Amino acid sequence: MGKVGTLALLQDISSIEDPRLIEWDWIRENFWEDIVPAIQGHIYLSFVSVAIALAISLPTGVMVSRYRKAYAPVTFVTGLLYSIPSLALFGILISIPGITIGPTPVIIALVAYSLLIMIRNTVAGLDTVPAETIDAARGMGLTNRQILFKVELPLALPVIVAGIRIATVTIIGIATIGAYIAAGGLGKMIFDGINTSFPTMIITGAVLATALAVLADLLLLALERRLRPWARRRKS
Amino acid sequence: MLERPDFTELFITHIELSVVALLIAIAIALPVALAIRNTPLGAALAINVGNIGRAVPSLAILALCQPFLGFGFDTALVALTALAIPPILINASTGLREVSREVIDAARGMGLSGSQILTGIQMPIAAPVIFAGIRTSAVQVVASATLATFIGGGGLGDLIVEGTQLNDTTLLLAGSLSVAVLAIITEVGFGALERGMTPKGLKVAQKRAR
Amino acid sequence: MIEFKGVSKTYPGSDTSVVNDLSFRVPEGEICVLVGPSGCGKTTTMRMVNRLIEPTDGEILIDGGPNTTMSGTQLRRKIGYAIQQIGLFPHRTIAENIATVPSLLNWDKGRIRSRVDELLELVGLDPNDYRSRYPAELSGGQQQRVGVARAMAADPPIMLMDEPFGAVDPITRERLQDEFLNIQQNIKKTIVFVTHDIDEAIKIGDKIAILKQGGFLAQYDTPENILANPNSEFVASFVGNDRILKRLSLTRVGDLQLEPPNGGTEGLPRIDGRLTVRDALSEILGSGGTKGVVEDNGERRLLTIEAIEKLSRAGNASRG
Repeated sequence: MGKVGTLALLQDISSIEDPRLIEWDWIRENFWEDIVPAIQGHIYLSFVSVAIALAISLPTGVMVSRYRKAYAPVTFVTGLLYSIPSLALFGILISIPGITIGPTPVIIALVAYSLLIMIRNTVAGLDTVPAETIDAARGMGLTNRQILFKVELPLALPVIVAGIRIATVTIIGIATIGAYIAAGGLGKMIFDGINTSFPTMIITGAVLATALAVLADLLLLALERRLRPWARRRKS
Repeated sequence: MLERPDFTELFITHIELSVVALLIAIAIALPVALAIRNTPLGAALAINVGNIGRAVPSLAILALCQPFLGFGFDTALVALTALAIPPILINASTGLREVSREVIDAARGMGLSGSQILTGIQMPIAAPVIFAGIRTSAVQVVASATLATFIGGGGLGDLIVEGTQLNDTTLLLAGSLSVAVLAIITEVGFGALERGMTPKGLKVAQKRAR
Repeated sequence: MIEFKGVSKTYPGSDTSVVNDLSFRVPEGEICVLVGPSGCGKTTTMRMVNRLIEPTDGEILIDGGPNTTMSGTQLRRKIGYAIQQIGLFPHRTIAENIATVPSLLNWDKGRIRSRVDELLELVGLDPNDYRSRYPAELSGGQQQRVGVARAMAADPPIMLMDEPFGAVDPITRERLQDEFLNIQQNIKKTIVFVTHDIDEAIKIGDKIAILKQGGFLAQYDTPENILANPNSEFVASFVGNDRILKRLSLTRVGDLQLEPPNGGTEGLPRIDGRLTVRDALSEILGSGGTKGVVEDNGERRLLTIEAIEKLSRAGNASRG
């Protein structure tokens, strides 16, 4: 469309918009007070949840891949948890005596949501390890524990990371809703913006949350691709 | 003071939002996937757009529509439709492209026309994958419709919000549990539909592969 | 009858030809095998007959008229098409697969049904058993047979086959080749058959077209003549250093004109008249002697190594 034409179009769009839509001054003023803490809070929520979920799902996944009979019930339960919409799960959790509003129920819910995909991907990743490879390792004298850590898990890593990626993106997304029950994060800006009819906060919060999710997605995707050198080489 | 929300009305609104958003999303995503099925560039574009779309938080889309479109049912509908499109687009696109090339070559070589190949071969074989995308989308829409409450769209989310604000555990649980049940029913129901949409020959092949 | 007249194919943006100025004729009712190393354009050539690929130069005549007089889709419904990976439609039953072209041509249901059963029998599969199965339930060899049946369904006078027996093990492949030749004995279709295997070409072809890299026609002749008189270094090495022996495998000992033995046949190997001359030679050499007794239809005749030598030289253009 040409540089001049595009620039003109953008100028037209920004003048069509209600000038109250994005108040850059507000953003500048509150950057360190509101925006950065929100980002930090959001990353904190997401990171802790992913970490806990990983700590649970990796051992569970390994166990389930050994005892296949457990696969169906585990998938059923985690699937059930995954199906419950976030706001509803928050609602149920804060109804439980002892759990107050704040980060705790949100983290519990976020962890619950990621279990299905991470366990499933752990199992699937371990499944991709050829039986002959394990057999060769055993034949060379590695113990089961060594085989798990030196052979199986490294080979299963790409698929496991894929699961982490999907879980992380989901978690970042749902963490925005957690702000409704006082968990902090970028969702707080969105809710405050809606309640005070202040579009700038809404848009800032929403755009930053989206950017965070997309960024995590792309970074983990790059990591996933790096872990698969054999897939990359075949292309060239 | 607000009167106690009418459960039935909220329930119906919730379903309305979900169903209409899903239908419109299908009406948009399927034709697009069909149109680009033979162009590798178009397909790559669709997949990338779809993947980015899936990463976007549901609340963000709902919230972003509000400053431009205001509060209400219609705004929520627009946002939910946007949310529903990516899974369908991704699955329809990959599903159509993954129909094995030999099968299409054999079909062409035997004298099936382009449209006969599309309707008789590609779509039936891609149907399960496409439907899996619709199913994913349906569950996501039903869940996200809960959030419509925040932009005045109604739906069962109203009960949860009301219950939280009034510290009314009954209301809170009623809202949460009904949404949860609705979501689970959607998941299970569409799962059954998905199995129904899989041509028998493909089911046999799947069984064999195991 | 299929005729290639100066057919060439080059892809835009490339300066090497894929097919280069091919001219030859496939007589009606014969099998013409296109054979050559990879990159010789044999599959491309075949796919130009039913216009899955269009030539950049030249034309292809079918029964005297150019193959462009009707649309590609219409043309293909009149030509049988069987490919190496078979491409059975996984979502349709075997019967539905075979019925594909007849349905397109709007045959009535009864006729389609009996044709499907007829073809399943022809390729050696019990219709009652296989009619309602799905491709995923069949072995590779069975799928390949269905592929051939599907290609023949509308009884097209012309068939194109691209390594149709390629996806199975050698033993099954040999069986399929034999059965196919048997069928062709009775129905006499005009067939263009692609393979990379010179032995398959010799076994199956009434005529062989040997193609070189870049799509050039190296030699077009009967298997006999190509083996006896390869016209170039390329052809000679392509058919293999054992071409003399290969040629001997084209004839049965029972068909040779031989003298009856006059006494003294103890100790000599007995050779069944159905064996090829090549196998007979093997038997004689194995026995340590220079003669063997051929038994054919109750008659007994003497086969000597000298006779075999003479046979191997017959028809050879002298090459100095």
